[in-house]
Amino acid sequence: MDTTQLLKGVLDLAVLAALRDEDGYGYDILRRLRAAGLEDVGDASVYGTLRRLFNGGFLNTYVVPSDEGPHRKYYGLNAAGRAELQRSGKIWHGFATTMDDLLRERGAA
Amino acid sequence: MNDEITVYVEGVRRSLAGLSEATREELLEDLPEHLAEVRAEGSGTLVDRLGTPEAYASELRSTAGLVGGFPEPPLDRFAQLREARDQALDLLARADRRTGPVIGYEKASDFLVLLRPGWWVLRGYLVAMALAYVLSDGTRLGLLPRIGNNELVALFLLAGCVIVSIVLGKRSAAFSRLPRLAVQSGTVVLVIFALSGFLTADDNARTPGYSDVNYGYSDPNPYSNVNDVYVYDGQGRLVPNARLYDQDGSPIQLGTNMCTDPSTGETIRSRNIGVPYCPQDAPFGGSSALPSASAPTEAPSPSTSAPADATSQPTRSAPASFSR
Repeated sequence: MDTTQLLKGVLDLAVLAALRDEDGYGYDILRRLRAAGLEDVGDASVYGTLRRLFNGGFLNTYVVPSDEGPHRKYYGLNAAGRAELQRSGKIWHGFATTMDDLLRERGAA
Repeated sequence: MNDEITVYVEGVRRSLAGLSEATREELLEDLPEHLAEVRAEGSGTLVDRLGTPEAYASELRSTAGLVGGFPEPPLDRFAQLREARDQALDLLARADRRTGPVIGYEKASDFLVLLRPGWWVLRGYLVAMALAYVLSDGTRLGLLPRIGNNELVALFLLAGCVIVSIVLGKRSAAFSRLPRLAVQSGTVVLVIFALSGFLTADDNARTPGYSDVNYGYSDPNPYSNVNDVYVYDGQGRLVPNARLYDQDGSPIQLGTNMCTDPSTGETIRSRNIGVPYCPQDAPFGGSSALPSASAPTEAPSPSTSAPADATSQPTRSAPASFSR
């Protein structure tokens, strides 16, 4: 088992969580995730997830012009996105607790 | 600088070839802008920072397929076939370039393109032949597309088909996919028809049918049905034991020395050295007239004794008759 496999299952949730407090553009969000400890996240994963979440109606987006460098496409949570974050978050907590309990009972943790 | 992004995006696009076009375009829609952001954030080439376009595409594909949204792309079942086809095409192209100079062209296909109108004419002919074949219920065709054994119809049909084929050839370049496909599959059928026709014709030419050639065939030797020869002198008398020679003194072999015994019906070998071999079968019955006048043959031999005295006669009679 490695974290990239685990990451795949929670990438949506991770990106939604990274956008909870502040809107961000693609590379910015990647940096946030890595700073939070998800060092294995790849740029393509974040980009793909953002595209998918946006297409699923969980994100709004807007372009911010920049004086130096290219324009940046910002993403932010909309109402559906926040609801999804809450729902998925609960699922994650339940799942994580179950796994923690399982590991504790077996004395592996 | 923008070239780097374009090249990278193209690389990703190629690696996503297995996806449907809509899905792929959706995935790639924002990629150039995104890559521009990435590059603005740091130093180094895109490949250094993001990995190869292939790896990027693979990661993109796997994340995109996770939750609803984009279904996992079906495995490219035809990838191997496609690869084989590409390799074959590559080989062909190389052969094309190699053989071209041999026949004095840059590429062999340059020459084939020149032959195209010739193919149109041939195609018209083949279509006419195929039509005639179908319409005449598979009776044997010659070289003209006859329908009901009519040359005029054949010529009109031939001319019409050739003209249509040429017109089609000139226009087919502008055809859309479906008509083009129709023309191509028609061509395959025609080629098969032509090959089978060619092989049949070749076969017929090599091994002529029995009836074809022997019909009306005349035996070059008019004497092949001669079994025996009877020589009569000026008085109508049968000359026994005659020898026939040609102008060079070579003996002429006519007939066979087999006789049918009139009493038993058996076939027996005649002992006569000259003709007739079977004096008893003489057509004009002159043999009995011989004895009286003929000095050389005092052989009174009528019918039955002929074989017996034939053995003694040659020595006497033959030198006499050919006083050379």
